[in-house]
Amino acid sequence: MTTVAAGRDDRGKAPRSAQRTWLWAALLALPTAWMVTFFVSSMAIIVLLSFGRTTNDGYPAFALRTDSYRAIWNDVYLELFVRSLVYALATVAISVLIAYPVAYTIARHGGRYKNALIAAIVVPFFASYLIRMYAWKALLSDEGLVNSGLRRTGLHVFGLSDGITFLNTPWAVVGGLVYGFVVYMILPIYASLERLDGSLIEAGKDLYHGPVRTFFSVTLPATRPGLYGGILLVFLPALGDFVSAQLLGGANTYMMGNLIQQQFAEGQNWPLGSALTVGMMTALTVLMVVYLRATSTQAREG
Amino acid sequence: MTPHPRLALPRHSRRSLLTGGLALGATMALPGCAYIRDDVSVDAPLPTSAKAEIDGDLVYFNWADYLAPKVLKGFQEEYGVKIIESNFDSMEGMYAKLAAGNQYDIVFPIAKWVVKLRQEGKLRAIDPDQLSNAGQVFYPGSYFNDPWYDAGSRASIPFTVYKTGIGWRTDKVSSMTGSWRDLWNDDASGHIFTLDDQDEALAMAALLLGYDVNTAKASELEEIKKLLISQKDVLRAYSSDDINDMTGGDAWVHHMWSGDFLYLRQGLANDPTKFDFEAPTEGTPINSDTYAIPANAQHPGTAMVFIDYLLRPENAVRNMRYLYYPFPVKDALPAFAELAKEVPACNVEISDLENENVFRLLSAEDQQRRAAVWTEVKAS
Repeated sequence: MTTVAAGRDDRGKAPRSAQRTWLWAALLALPTAWMVTFFVSSMAIIVLLSFGRTTNDGYPAFALRTDSYRAIWNDVYLELFVRSLVYALATVAISVLIAYPVAYTIARHGGRYKNALIAAIVVPFFASYLIRMYAWKALLSDEGLVNSGLRRTGLHVFGLSDGITFLNTPWAVVGGLVYGFVVYMILPIYASLERLDGSLIEAGKDLYHGPVRTFFSVTLPATRPGLYGGILLVFLPALGDFVSAQLLGGANTYMMGNLIQQQFAEGQNWPLGSALTVGMMTALTVLMVVYLRATSTQAREG
Repeated sequence: MTPHPRLALPRHSRRSLLTGGLALGATMALPGCAYIRDDVSVDAPLPTSAKAEIDGDLVYFNWADYLAPKVLKGFQEEYGVKIIESNFDSMEGMYAKLAAGNQYDIVFPIAKWVVKLRQEGKLRAIDPDQLSNAGQVFYPGSYFNDPWYDAGSRASIPFTVYKTGIGWRTDKVSSMTGSWRDLWNDDASGHIFTLDDQDEALAMAALLLGYDVNTAKASELEEIKKLLISQKDVLRAYSSDDINDMTGGDAWVHHMWSGDFLYLRQGLANDPTKFDFEAPTEGTPINSDTYAIPANAQHPGTAMVFIDYLLRPENAVRNMRYLYYPFPVKDALPAFAELAKEVPACNVEISDLENENVFRLLSAEDQQRRAAVWTEVKAS
């Protein structure tokens, strides 16, 4: 602050902006270097390796081949992409249904416990996703805690006394994804609800007579940016995830993430894995552009 | 710092552009260089053996939890050295670390990885004359004097042996036939698991069809693929977490490793009689783990002493009672037979070792062809 003030006194406007530029450049250097090292360069290597070959020891080398791109045109892979897309969309839908009421309750009715409640939601996510998935396995297995409990209740009417097969089903995979990523939906929605002026809702209630219409005409449009952000933050990791399908999935829940991971591990086919990654990124970029265009026009109109 | 602002601005941006460009080039080039490479040589000479004498702390690289902690502690106390432990979770992961030049004193490769590491010059010879307990594994008539994966046993010492079979719940399923077909058993529909392991899954189907477990013939792989896809109607999942799948009650019939089964039955189960194991009549894959010393090990002498220590029958017995995998250490074999006496199918006989159902090192093309089939099976 003092240097900025001094700069203004001594040299007028320009030096301040020069110093600011210098300061910002210095502040940006570290994150830029970080991104370049770990994101841009690894991305570039993936693209280069997608044209690569596998040497006799099972590891990749740069080359100029396109056979990996020919190999990804496989009906089975396309089916996997569609399946992953469906799982990711279901994850987004369920996450919205869970996250909105939670965020709404905390933001509008949390009072002085707001921060504590948000912390209560975030803290479990400090534990590794993998560990939490294993906990699910223990809870939901056929002879696990939940099913033993169900059997003891003896709810014969609904056939619940036989227990429910939770694990190794598509439901378990989507459940795992929701559990893993729902917090990325709660936080942005909470942030936009938090900023929302309460008097708008009051006015809405006067205007529209009733909470439901008020919600759809006032609250929801006002929190759209948070919602759109949350959708993206949940959709992208859910689409590429392999942990949930690996640990909770069954014989028919293999996802794109598993397919790609397999090429880098047991399959020893890094070029194919890289080509699949590039193909998936391309498809996602197209989807994203369409989505961002649609939502930004909507936001402008709304 | 900068007397004239109008000059300063472009100078900063030019310099930062330059440094930025250099940084970008460097960070891209460094990791990228690792992939400018050619086929590796496969007839590398074998570096000579080290003497078995302590020459520093032991840098140890193994699967997690794959030796009894008591035994590791005993070594540190007896010889006054530290064991610096790190773990791998797959053979590919272990190989990648070694290939990247990481230095370990002792590694634990599965048989076919011994072939690969030795032919690429990544292992150091181990002279049995340096080991006072070598007679426990190398004796007249021992299979390990000249195993298929290491001619003359020059670069490895046998660690464990095991087979792959089928474990099942006797309280849930009664109609087991002793064939790999039991993995299609309708009585256990929805509770059948196949190992999530390319070699094991393809081998199981190959044995049913009467093919070599290492087959890479397109026509045979096509049949294997169809057979494995047909299993999906009754299959619950592909999983290598065989012990937890069984204890959680999800699995009634599980394609599993003999040692894991024995640990489940003798070490975990409240009621061991609920679990049984069969070695299918079409044949079972046999595999072995080994001790080996990387060529770039910094303390190969300590590693030799450590191997000698593990070959002591009392240590082998301690490890067996912890791992439930048989160690081919002569004077420890009776203890394992005792451990496996209620499920003799888990025991590995010498005659088992001499069969053809071992996972061999295949060429990269054959390996990829098999991988593609396995991927399609899982993805279908």
